[in-house]
Amino acid sequence: MRMKQLLFLPAILAFLFSLSVSAQEQELKTGDKAPDIRLPTTAGDTVTLSSLSGKIVLVDFWATWCAPCITEQPELAALYKKFRNTSFQAGTGFEIYGVSLDNKKESWQEIVNKLKIDWIQVSDLKFWASPVAATYAIPELPYNVLIDGKGMVLAVNLHGAELEKFLTLIAVSKE
Amino acid sequence: MKLFSRILLFCLLQTVFLLNSNAQGGNAEPWSAKQLLDPAELAKTINAGKALPYIYCIGPSAVIKGSVDIGPGNEKSSIEKLKAAVSKLPKDAPIVLYCGCCPFRNCPNIRPAFSLLNQLKFTNHKLLNLATNIRVDWISKGYPVAQ
Repeated sequence: MRMKQLLFLPAILAFLFSLSVSAQEQELKTGDKAPDIRLPTTAGDTVTLSSLSGKIVLVDFWATWCAPCITEQPELAALYKKFRNTSFQAGTGFEIYGVSLDNKKESWQEIVNKLKIDWIQVSDLKFWASPVAATYAIPELPYNVLIDGKGMVLAVNLHGAELEKFLTLIAVSKE
Repeated sequence: MKLFSRILLFCLLQTVFLLNSNAQGGNAEPWSAKQLLDPAELAKTINAGKALPYIYCIGPSAVIKGSVDIGPGNEKSSIEKLKAAVSKLPKDAPIVLYCGCCPFRNCPNIRPAFSLLNQLKFTNHKLLNLATNIRVDWISKGYPVAQ
């Protein structure tokens, strides 16, 4: 009997190991707490995600080398303008926290200036080796997470009309 | 009988078309399936300290240990740099190109760089199969990265 149990031991260990690996690489889902992010802005000062507590926040993962991300920035600018002062069911005001996976500060700064991006921009300039990319288990860019005033995930990876529809749905009134 | 010969002709044409598209690589990419290198295989070679192929990064950042940073393959200056880097290599030199910014379907860098090596008549060049990106297919697997 004991021998039989021992035979199963490697299988059990392999199963537990696979669970721990997949846990590390699991994407966030609705209802999860979004891990805090603490990264420098283009100006060099640090802005944490948690400092935006109370607002609805779109954490936008992007990079200047990602063509679809660049295409999306003007769409985000329109949403930012539209919902910035909106009251939502789970937060007041809408903010975008842009996390760039660039590795060259000049490229990042150039596009931020060119597209007149006026929301928070942070990066550790580590490309895909950035620890935040692993923490959020980002599969590919563009990628985003929408969180409520308490930092809980409301939606994952909504873009374009879908994102606008969702924000409209959870809005209470425009201030 | 006439119908049968028409069906036969259709089948023949279809076969010729399929054979032709397969000969061209099917999806018309500049590389063939045989020219895709499994990341696990390259990682094993690097870790074993064996004779390395020439590893060129033609993406935003040279993440892989021992690789040479050429710059994004969609930029003219990078293509010139790659051309200069391989200019003194024998045509059968083992060369590995990688980018890893985006899934292959969206990557703007791999095609111009790989096409250049085709044009220069290299015979032993491969594309590292980072089909999703370098985080998913290399870093998260614990493969060797540059310090």
